[in-house]
Amino acid sequence: MNLRSREPLIFKRSVEGKIGMDLPQLDVPPAEDTRPLHLKRKDFGVLPSCSEPEIIRHFTRLSLWNYGMDQGMYPLGSCTMKHNPRLNEVTSALPGFSESHPMASDEHLQGNLELIFTLQEWLKEVTGLHAVTLQPSAGAAGELTGVLLIRAYHLAHGHHKKFILVPDSAHGTNPATAAMAGYDVIDVASGPDGCVSFEDITDSVTGKVKRGFNSVIQEHGADIAGLMITNPNTLGIFESRIGDICSEIHRVGGLVYMDGANMNALVGVARPGDFGIDVMHMNLHKTMSTPHGGGGPGAGPVACVAALEPFLPRPVVVRDTQKIGEGEVPEHRYRWDWNRPQSIGKVHTFFGNYGMLVRALTYCMSHGSDGLREATLRAIVNANYVRSQLVGVYHLPVTSPTMHEVVFNDAIQAKNGVHTLDIAKRLIDYGFHPPTVYFPMVVSGALMIEPTETESKEELDAFIHAMKSIAQEASESPDLVHQAPVTAPLRRLDETTAARKPVLRWLPNSVT
Amino acid sequence: MRYLPSSPQEDQQLLAAIGVKKAEDCLSGVPPKFLLKSLLNLPQQSSELEVLRAMKNMSQKNTSFNSRFLGAGAYAHFIPAAVDMQVGRQEWFTSYTPYQPEISQGTLQHIFEYQTIMCDLTGTDVSNASLYDGGTACLESALMAVRVQKKKNTVLISEGLHPYYQEVLRSGFASHEDLKLVSVGLQQGVTDLSDLKHKCDDSVAAVLIGYPNFLGHVEDLTACAAITRGAGALLISVTQEAMSLGWLAAPGTVGADIACGEAMSFGNRTSFGGPFLGFIGVRDAHKRELPGRVVGETKDLEGRTGYVLTLTAREQHIRRDKATSNICSNQGLIALRANIWLQLAGPRGLRGLAEQNAAKAQYLRSRLLELPCWEAIDDAPFFNEFALRYVGDWSRMKQELVREGILPGLELDTLQAPWSSQYQRGILWCATELNTRHQIEHLIEVMARFAVVNA
Repeated sequence: MNLRSREPLIFKRSVEGKIGMDLPQLDVPPAEDTRPLHLKRKDFGVLPSCSEPEIIRHFTRLSLWNYGMDQGMYPLGSCTMKHNPRLNEVTSALPGFSESHPMASDEHLQGNLELIFTLQEWLKEVTGLHAVTLQPSAGAAGELTGVLLIRAYHLAHGHHKKFILVPDSAHGTNPATAAMAGYDVIDVASGPDGCVSFEDITDSVTGKVKRGFNSVIQEHGADIAGLMITNPNTLGIFESRIGDICSEIHRVGGLVYMDGANMNALVGVARPGDFGIDVMHMNLHKTMSTPHGGGGPGAGPVACVAALEPFLPRPVVVRDTQKIGEGEVPEHRYRWDWNRPQSIGKVHTFFGNYGMLVRALTYCMSHGSDGLREATLRAIVNANYVRSQLVGVYHLPVTSPTMHEVVFNDAIQAKNGVHTLDIAKRLIDYGFHPPTVYFPMVVSGALMIEPTETESKEELDAFIHAMKSIAQEASESPDLVHQAPVTAPLRRLDETTAARKPVLRWLPNSVT
Repeated sequence: MRYLPSSPQEDQQLLAAIGVKKAEDCLSGVPPKFLLKSLLNLPQQSSELEVLRAMKNMSQKNTSFNSRFLGAGAYAHFIPAAVDMQVGRQEWFTSYTPYQPEISQGTLQHIFEYQTIMCDLTGTDVSNASLYDGGTACLESALMAVRVQKKKNTVLISEGLHPYYQEVLRSGFASHEDLKLVSVGLQQGVTDLSDLKHKCDDSVAAVLIGYPNFLGHVEDLTACAAITRGAGALLISVTQEAMSLGWLAAPGTVGADIACGEAMSFGNRTSFGGPFLGFIGVRDAHKRELPGRVVGETKDLEGRTGYVLTLTAREQHIRRDKATSNICSNQGLIALRANIWLQLAGPRGLRGLAEQNAAKAQYLRSRLLELPCWEAIDDAPFFNEFALRYVGDWSRMKQELVREGILPGLELDTLQAPWSSQYQRGILWCATELNTRHQIEHLIEVMARFAVVNA
């Protein structure tokens, strides 16, 4: 099939009288119509009538316009696009798990409760923290849970604090989360090494002064509820003074939240609990390889120190151990503990994105302590290899040691009028998904490359070759790069008009 | 480790190119005192076969049932084989959020279709690409209503909302010290309109009403809307069982300004409560306050129609602390399951299944009421769930049912709700198209037999 031909919206395929799902014979008397007259369903709008083969073809054709992880390297910095093991899909689909019901009694859910307990134990050991909740649905939900824990802790101690500090290199979710939790956000400058700056930073061009960590602490001291910090940060650099940062925040009575989006650079190598972190989330869809699914579902467990444990979302899983006799294997029973008077409440309707939790534990058990460490080291080696091959070809604005991802920019190519967006789009023509672009915002024109541990040297070399070719094109024939992509199903799309005159659904009288 | 591709020789080449001797040399940015000196205290790696065995073993520690009559926010419905086969394609499940539209048209067009269908099912103008689940959809809807209704600070919640949704709302509102959540009571299992009228003053930004509510009842949204409109408040309908949308009028057409809820019923398994599928539909005038991702139509350079993520000016990566929500991800793959399921069902399938649900639940209720141990508690119209009172020893009866492979309805006494005293010893039953007449008769037969033995 010609991949550039367009598959129409399904609504245009709809022909009355077709059906894609047969119904079983009704084996009880038909429903008596008890609905109030005005609450009866009248029609279904454009919900299409199509047969099964037509719908399968529709979605299969649509799928072919997506770039997937199995097609090639997907070096989206910060997003951690690594291989999605197929075993994890099989285990999460086991009927014992997938057909279990969240409102059933604990005694009928011993397998699920054991799985949740076990995964929590793994994550406690990985993070070096005291307690874990698996309830948050995604990274942003984990962040909010973490900040709500900080808030509950301060309130329980009678403190009404106002501010959350966020380094300017942080992902936008951090300030958005702090605001959702009712805090005012104070930006903290990063220095030339990419890490949180303790001193104020004066912009050499505008002369504007950005506040460093010391002066913010001095001014706001006891009003600081906490700090949200990503480590390694969004430049892929380990915050070398993380220990000092934690003790300073603790000194003024604040708590430290770590955004664990980049935890895949630390697993088995270093533990946030040892740095002085009080609470953090992890993205299981990054670090623990659960698939991204075209934008979800994710899972954002939160780990915390003992002082925050009473505030964790309820219910909390408890293991009761009965030891029958000397030398016998202890018997475990699991139950939910709902009696948590200091809990912040629920942050998910039930117990989290359970199917993702099954996948994450499968990943953990497959890797084991040795495999987890090896994966981390390989992710770091792969990023450093890409750095070693592309430095000089692309500008490396911050030269501190690279962990799991490396941030270049378009400074060299911009001289020929070729910018980050062009480079990203041209990579599509070379058969790769582009890196994360224009983020972090502390680097102008950022190209953030995260290869992950599941790329072979051969694939890394192919990517490096493509990046070098694009750099060459940028200097020799910049227009070629401006036109990119030319091999994708569509050329560049007009996002401005899309936002200005939004068309967010199909209507039967639409022209297109 | 089977997922890690490098050979020892390639490893050496990588390290040599970097200019280090061993991988640990790349950790020079980490202060040495933080570097672990030994492996984590966890089991070592395992083969695929060993892990599969261990997980199977764990999954079998859950009790399995031959027939299930439990809903209460998580519903088992038929899933055509085509759904699992299609979402198993790597192009769907391994891809990322469609930030690069040129190579993500599959995901983007699917979401556009999903949004269109959800608009029609809910009777609203704009749907987003999904939210985490029903409870968080309530929270996001309530917060959105407060943003729209700038000067108003109170949100009313009907006590008929799922108790867990109410708890998610409360935890989410706790940090907004300027906002208030106030409960509206029930009368005969549906929202008490006189209480609603009494509490719906001009400080109220929005009112959340279950449709159907937690007890299975069909609330009269139109009557609620007359009250909320009068007070200048928005009406938010909360549908925890989306299959009911095949039977009931689209909430947006009968008074709801925002229609939100849980759509896991379309193509997803109960899976211990997640991942599920939160949805929200709103009026056109409110679209720029909508939380979460939205896909819109546009053109490419050559004038061809395509789709992109849009209205991003609302989102956290641009607005940071001024964003409408901190959400980045949605429930992409779950929405895909729902979209495929809905397209397979079509109008005939959705209407037909919904009618079967109503028929099964009505039949189950009437059969139960023929037994002396069951009493009616209320008499409002319901869809596929209803509560009855059991006059007998429920814990022993439940044991008997479980022994027979039957998962019975929910004991309402296990929840602490404001209506608990009225629903004491109540069991919330659910029947769907998956429950055959044979299963229902088996349930009745076990109960009748048990009652005789214990008479």
